Amino acid sequence: MANSVNAGVRAYVTIVKSWNVGGVEKMRVERMRRVTAFLLAGLLLILLTPAYAQQPTFAGKTLTIVVGYAPGGGYDRMARMVAKYLPKYLAGNPTVIVQNMPGANSIIAANHVYNVAKRDGLTIGAFNRNLVLGQLVKVEGMRFDMTNFAWIGSTSNETTILAIRSDLPYRTVADLVKADPALFIGATGPGANTYDFPLLLRAFLKLNLKIISGYPSSSDIMLAIERKELDGRAGSYSSIKPFIDRGLVRPIMRARASVPAIARLPVDEDLAPTETAKAVMALRSVPEVIGRPFVAPPGTPPELVRALREAFERVTKDREFLAEAAAAGFDIEFVNGDEALKITLEVLTAPPGVVRIFQQFFKFE
Amino acid sequence: MLEALLQGLVAVLQWNALSFMLIGVVVGFWVGLLPGLGGATTLALLLPFVYNMAPVQAFAFLLGMHSVTATTGDITSILFGIPGEGTTAASILDGHAMAKKGEAGRALGASLMSSLIGALVGALALALAIPVVRPLVLTFGSPELFMVAILGIASIASLSGRGPRGMVRGFLAGCLGLFFSAVGSDPQAANLRYTFGTLYLWEGLGLVPVLVGFFAIPEIVDLAVRGTSIAGKASVGRISGVLEGVKDVFRHFWLTIRCSLVGTWIGVLPGLGGAVAQWMAYAHAVQSAKDATDRERFGKGDVRGVIGPGAANNSKEGGDLIPTVAFGVPGSSSMAILLGGFFLVGLVPGPDMLTKHLSVTFSMVWTIILANIITVAASFAFLNRLAGLTAIRASLLIPFLLLLVFLGAYTNNNNIGDLVVMLSFGMLGYFMVRYRWPRAPLVLGLVLGDIAERYLWISTARYGTSWLGRPAVLILIFLTVLAAASPFIQERRSRRKEALRAA
Repeated sequence: MANSVNAGVRAYVTIVKSWNVGGVEKMRVERMRRVTAFLLAGLLLILLTPAYAQQPTFAGKTLTIVVGYAPGGGYDRMARMVAKYLPKYLAGNPTVIVQNMPGANSIIAANHVYNVAKRDGLTIGAFNRNLVLGQLVKVEGMRFDMTNFAWIGSTSNETTILAIRSDLPYRTVADLVKADPALFIGATGPGANTYDFPLLLRAFLKLNLKIISGYPSSSDIMLAIERKELDGRAGSYSSIKPFIDRGLVRPIMRARASVPAIARLPVDEDLAPTETAKAVMALRSVPEVIGRPFVAPPGTPPELVRALREAFERVTKDREFLAEAAAAGFDIEFVNGDEALKITLEVLTAPPGVVRIFQQFFKFE
Repeated sequence: MLEALLQGLVAVLQWNALSFMLIGVVVGFWVGLLPGLGGATTLALLLPFVYNMAPVQAFAFLLGMHSVTATTGDITSILFGIPGEGTTAASILDGHAMAKKGEAGRALGASLMSSLIGALVGALALALAIPVVRPLVLTFGSPELFMVAILGIASIASLSGRGPRGMVRGFLAGCLGLFFSAVGSDPQAANLRYTFGTLYLWEGLGLVPVLVGFFAIPEIVDLAVRGTSIAGKASVGRISGVLEGVKDVFRHFWLTIRCSLVGTWIGVLPGLGGAVAQWMAYAHAVQSAKDATDRERFGKGDVRGVIGPGAANNSKEGGDLIPTVAFGVPGSSSMAILLGGFFLVGLVPGPDMLTKHLSVTFSMVWTIILANIITVAASFAFLNRLAGLTAIRASLLIPFLLLLVFLGAYTNNNNIGDLVVMLSFGMLGYFMVRYRWPRAPLVLGLVLGDIAERYLWISTARYGTSWLGRPAVLILIFLTVLAAASPFIQERRSRRKEALRAA
């Protein structure tokens, strides 16, 4: 850039010198010289500013958020809300659309964004938070490295809690250890927090739980609790909250990621009997801190990533956005791109011994 | 209660709620007609718009859209043999067969009228169920859901051809369907089954590409081979045909009501999914045939095969809403998305909806009723034009149909795999038609296999074997035996009649 500035100045000097004629014309020439200098300086300023001060502009362009799930789920709804508010904070107010690319728990979408999407800052991916755990246990078919994505950030965390029916006599973790007979805990299946969280609680904290898996969705589990087929469930606080408010279930404990309303519940990791148990629990929990991850393809130009990151952060602070998120039942807990990348690295550098134990419990599917 | 009922009506008839409903109905009309683009997906796309609406307006908009998709979906199914919605595939079997006989008008008339009655029954059920909704939903645990799936699978017997050969073929087709339902990661332990190392198959075979290929491709091949229009040489019936279809519904009025109730009931049970009701109703229509010769008419253009699914896929809407409103537990994937709408407008589904917000609940009942009346009335205005489409030459129609088929399948996952699945099932469907294997049992197996597997596992894990003794399970076992035996009973009746005639 400095070279082109020098060249510009040199050209200017040459042009002006060529006009340097003597005699009567001198005054006029002097004035012309000044006007020319002014004009050229202005031109230079216009030519050079984009590179220096101005943000990259997205005017007239279309940004696509690729969501790894079908329309209607939590990931999709969050992406649609972000898509609605993002144009407001990007230079040039581009159009932002959501494209659903469901399949294989969003591996298909992540493969696409990593390998196929252009690195022009016009593609953003919104994937399953657990992809990093999939990478850790080396799931086949993943053609990406989570640490190479250009991380933009996460809008909220996933707050996993364990809740049991309010009419049961148990109130504390200790009660659940002594519970007899075992509590029936409903789950969707391995790889979901409805299954993995109680699985670790049973294995390491000796909670007397029997996990019944295979329910089509977490709301089907809720109904089974209502008809007393089940005694409780684990799941995200935001989805269980209406049923806590209604008095159907009561929360007993939570995982690491939290929101103020449940901050006082006991945390699984704090109760872990051994360091290994704690580390395994932490591995399961850590991705939940980046509950709704948003990334750009690797190799996206840094100034574009910076612009996206800034806009994204400002969206999560937007008052209208917050109001709409609250109405939709989302708690917004912003995590910035650097922090998200740090957490991702932390997961992937877990000691092999811990990973080996973790692998016995965790299945990414 | 009566007061809330009227309040609900008045709220829906306010100009802003009514105009949102009309917008919804127009959107739903097209979504229904176009294959692939389904009601659930559209609900998700419309959801962000309701944020600033009042509850009644929001539901008028969303439900107005969703409750008419099944009505207009039937139209595509009947005219072209392409399922307009995943929930309207069953209408093809007899509806499109009628269109090929030049009776498209009659089939459409019957389908629309039965849709309207179905919607009314479903809405009525929603209104009446409000005081008794808790016991109604709560008596159905996982063991009962498993038995409902088995009851459906037992109906394969009725959907098979006559005689031992037909039975064996139907049974094998059903098994093939069950086998296809196993593709993907299994529901309990997340082991991958038959995915052949592809990521696409992790979530199993998508119902939309399967149904679109399975039913539409054979029809398109058939049309290309014949080279005539869909209706062939038969003259396309004019308005009399449509009226005839409407009359058919009243001729088989009790069948219409029964199938509506089947649809409502399947809707009330959460976890059975949207595609099941139409097939159960179709099976019921076949089972209620007088004897074996009467049963043989199904699949060849019997109007009862149109009325059954037509009524059920609309009455399902009211049924679906019951657990959604009363417990905040969605009865289908569409309702799961609608649940998001509740929160967006500041309502918490659950007991409050039956007391404090009762008028909102009733406004939903009215929305379903009004939206369907409007749609059916509007459709009747176009019916002759629509029926006229079956008189268009094959060479003009086929490119358009292929476009619909490919787009419809591709919208499932936006993945090339969708097209592969669609074409493979198209080929399978073609050969099954060619060699006279029944297709309905395969679809029934595919739709119910996953449900049966899930709930059998859950029931056993939770109750051991004691669930077999639950009263509701025993009743369902009895019904299952009845369903499986029904073709044999029909056969005996047939023989007795023949014996009488001979004597």
